[in-house]
Amino acid sequence: MFGYYLQLGLRSLRRNPVLTTLMVVGIGLGIAASMTTLTVLHLMGSDPIPWKSDKLHYVQIDNWDVNNPFSDDGRPPDQVTYRDAVALMEAGKADKQTAMFKLALPIQPENPEVKPFQALGRVTYADFFAMFEPPFAYGGGWDRKQDAEHARVVVLTRESNEKLFGGQNSVGKTLRMNGVDYSIVGVLADWKLRSKYYDLTNGAFSDADEFFMPFTTAIDLKQRASGNNNCFKSPGDGWDAYLESDCIWIQMWVQLDSPARLAEYHAFLDNYVAEQKKLGRFPRPLNNRLLDVNQWMRDQRVVSRDVQVQTGLAFAFLIVCLVNTIGLLLAKFTRKAGEVGLRRALGASRNDVFKQFLIESGVVGMTGGLLGLLLTGLGLLAVRALYAEYKNVAHLDWSMISITIVLAIASALLAGLYPTWRACRVQPAAQLKV
Amino acid sequence: MLKMTHLQKVYRTHLIETYALRDFSIHVREGEFVAVTGPSGSGKTTFLNICGLLEEFTGGEYWLDGVDVRGLNDDARSRLRNEKIGFIFQSFNLIPDLNLFDNVDVPLRYRGFPAADRKKRIEESLGRVGLASRMKHYPSELSGGQQQRVAIARALAGSPRLLLADEPTGNLDSLMARGVLELLEEINRQGTTIVMVTHDPELAARAHRNVHVIDGQVTDFDDEPKLRNAAHDGSPNPTAIA
Amino acid sequence: MEIRPILSALMRSKVSMILIGLQVALTLAIVCNALFIIGQRLERMDRPSGMNESDTFWFGSNGFGQGYDANAVQLSDLALLRQMPGIAAATSTNSVPMSNGGWSTGINLQPKQKTSTAQTTLYIVDAQGLDAYGVKLVAGRNFKPEEIKTVKFGDRLQPAAIIVTKALADKLYPDGDALGKQVYMDEEPPTSTIIGIVERTQVPWVDAEFIDYSTFVPAYMPYGNSTRYLVRAEAGRRDEVMKEVEQKMSQSNTSRIIGKMRTIASVRSDAYAGDRAMAIILGTVIVALLAITALGIVGMASFWVAQRTRQIGTRRALGATRFDILRYFQTENFIITTLGLLVGGVLAYALSLWLMQNYQSPRLPWYYVPIGFVCLWVLGQLAVLGPALRASHVPPAVATRNV
Repeated sequence: MFGYYLQLGLRSLRRNPVLTTLMVVGIGLGIAASMTTLTVLHLMGSDPIPWKSDKLHYVQIDNWDVNNPFSDDGRPPDQVTYRDAVALMEAGKADKQTAMFKLALPIQPENPEVKPFQALGRVTYADFFAMFEPPFAYGGGWDRKQDAEHARVVVLTRESNEKLFGGQNSVGKTLRMNGVDYSIVGVLADWKLRSKYYDLTNGAFSDADEFFMPFTTAIDLKQRASGNNNCFKSPGDGWDAYLESDCIWIQMWVQLDSPARLAEYHAFLDNYVAEQKKLGRFPRPLNNRLLDVNQWMRDQRVVSRDVQVQTGLAFAFLIVCLVNTIGLLLAKFTRKAGEVGLRRALGASRNDVFKQFLIESGVVGMTGGLLGLLLTGLGLLAVRALYAEYKNVAHLDWSMISITIVLAIASALLAGLYPTWRACRVQPAAQLKV
Repeated sequence: MLKMTHLQKVYRTHLIETYALRDFSIHVREGEFVAVTGPSGSGKTTFLNICGLLEEFTGGEYWLDGVDVRGLNDDARSRLRNEKIGFIFQSFNLIPDLNLFDNVDVPLRYRGFPAADRKKRIEESLGRVGLASRMKHYPSELSGGQQQRVAIARALAGSPRLLLADEPTGNLDSLMARGVLELLEEINRQGTTIVMVTHDPELAARAHRNVHVIDGQVTDFDDEPKLRNAAHDGSPNPTAIA
Repeated sequence: MEIRPILSALMRSKVSMILIGLQVALTLAIVCNALFIIGQRLERMDRPSGMNESDTFWFGSNGFGQGYDANAVQLSDLALLRQMPGIAAATSTNSVPMSNGGWSTGINLQPKQKTSTAQTTLYIVDAQGLDAYGVKLVAGRNFKPEEIKTVKFGDRLQPAAIIVTKALADKLYPDGDALGKQVYMDEEPPTSTIIGIVERTQVPWVDAEFIDYSTFVPAYMPYGNSTRYLVRAEAGRRDEVMKEVEQKMSQSNTSRIIGKMRTIASVRSDAYAGDRAMAIILGTVIVALLAITALGIVGMASFWVAQRTRQIGTRRALGATRFDILRYFQTENFIITTLGLLVGGVLAYALSLWLMQNYQSPRLPWYYVPIGFVCLWVLGQLAVLGPALRASHVPPAVATRNV
């Protein structure tokens, strides 16, 4: 019978092209709007590293001005100082840890055909690669020993390796950056990140890093960070004064493999701050935080307010489309009162009529869903055009596709409940003309 | 009161010409109760529509209460219909979402009577058909006979010159039908001209005279009104009102 | 006008009325708030930066290698730029308005203040700075060439003379006598003297609370091996000059990389890309919403006309003119729309309140809802016109047709 009702439903759609078009377009538009925004919302906020997002924690300690809080709502500063980063690294109390900052360096390719260019990269410790697990095509990261030795090594990304060496295995080759030669120890494979979640203070959707080099080496070469730098008082003159100052320009991540380790590290941090207070630093009350990846993303509002408003709006629009569909289905089914009367007279029970019309609603939903899917694709295209930085975020994946179809059918069924119920109540006798 | 001469109604399609009425003439005097009879397909309904200004005709003349209706535009015909004619339909045609009061109110609103005037007329009219107590009820709560009575009340409320009835008892059982017919006779006695279209010969017999229609033409044109024998219903000898 | 009978008839079959009314209500609530948000964004995008945006562009130079003398390069670059034809003014700088990156600091009236009197951004320029930015001096004077200090990267600026925007001057000295006054850029002396006031210049961050508080500082201060320049071309010559500058700069010194030339117009465009996107998205939804609601009205009304053909014929038979029938349907639609709008008005304010609480947006101005009322009344009446006209053409003879 299901197949029979399906057939009836499809045939009925064809017989009434205007009404069908109105319904299908209505549902299609509503679904497209909702799914486009939902996709963006979902992908923007989705867990970038779900198998260990609760193990990676962002270190926040409050070294800020006693007279002015860093943030009006009591949140501690969003970066740490050089002194504290190095101290925490040297203490080594986490299972893995890395301090990092953003650095722009001119790359001077050996290949005369490639002009020198300015590259944006990340300055970090060896543990970065084990913590954030970027995939390697050739070679690997450096090790802690090389950190200690201030080794002049570099890891390239697939894109920069493509640009410099045509994509070949360049491990072992030399790369000159800002007049200094580095040895290439690894080349990453494609690392499609939806957002740069490990560096939210410099923009979640900013350009991808092009190289990685050791923290200790960059400091050795007196390279000033290219990212956000925040000081609450003048640091004094010169490089050394800057390193000693309370200016914050470094991001610090730790990996803690169990809740027990997390508690331990919390205690360690509190202790560290207490020690610093004795030295006259950290005048503000204790305010340490160790948010994990998802918490940190929420805290830094990776999913912007605008995206949230747009999603809410799209669903409100879907509701209007559904109310519209209820009306149209009501109109459609009421017109078929004669057919219902006839079917009932010929032996259909109320239940049979109910099933028939509910399935017809479902068919409308399915068709609308397919249209909606198409329109969602277009919608995401438009989103990519409007928000250039969302190019990795505005894409349909299989889970979103299935949600689209299910949402369409479910909404159509919901919309069809009342009209179907009304259709069942038709009295056969009243409809049959004598 | 109502005079049609050589009336003609033709339906033309690409291929066929159909004469619904051909050379149809009828003259109804004021106060008459005329039945127009004939088999189905004879053109009775077309006559009714034209008589009630619901349709236009293609030839001949039609004078209603001294007004030549040819050349009247749609608005003028609506006005004329509203003022002069009261309709009674076979299927009652009451508006289901309105109560009896509002149903009878409909033609009065189009007339433009003020609210107090309308209220008075409606109450009087429903009273005349014996349904004043059920003013706030809805048509679905009434029997067929009662619904037709409301329709009659609606037709009378505007004090029409002519009552046009289309098979008024067609959808009623014999008991209700008798009641409705008696009501119509009563109304006629009080001075309203009635033209009733029916295919029921028994019904037709109750009228003063019959006009028989076959194939769009009148075959039994009777110019003299038949006066009822006073002995039949016990009322004094009625005089024909000119 | 037969409002009462129409209303009473509607009450008998509430469902269809509720369906249309609900669509109208939701549409009003959403459209009013969405239009308001669009208005706010457009207002935001409209704010003048205070600098010349049509003739200006900026770019950076990044030197490499040890022994690169950024200060010397800066001076020679400026000399080169200033002798190029088509250039009205050029300056070295660290940032421009709307670029989202720069230097911010506090300004104090007293030494060792606990909280700054005002927050400001620093534009580190030379004597052609104001000219290159195209900002207007409204009091005092410009920097003299001899006042431009050369500062080594990492050292404190400590400018003896500064030029501030009028908004900042008024904030520091509400009595309007900021000119000649001394302020503290650091906690300790020396102070900086306000020698000039410009009309207006925004800070690089478009969301900053202190958006109009900018300070021009006279110095040559590269950022490591990086130097940046702002160029104002002669009117109408920006694009050709940009190409020439890129070429000349790249050729003049091979130990550095010339970064992408960016017009200030494109800086503005990037800064407000998010607002523009939001406005476009909201605008699209508004149009779609109005279209769906209008189509819904057309659909339902057509359905009702079809359902009530007999009733229409009867009314005509009883004396209604075509216009009476038209008016009936228009009135019915008006009533339904009005009921929907009343609910919608409440929803609009509720939505506005919710947005205020959760997104810190301002309150919806009172005139949005009444204007929305009018627009949706008109939309509804236009939508129902088609079916209503069809209804009015139902022939009176329908009344005598047998069921």
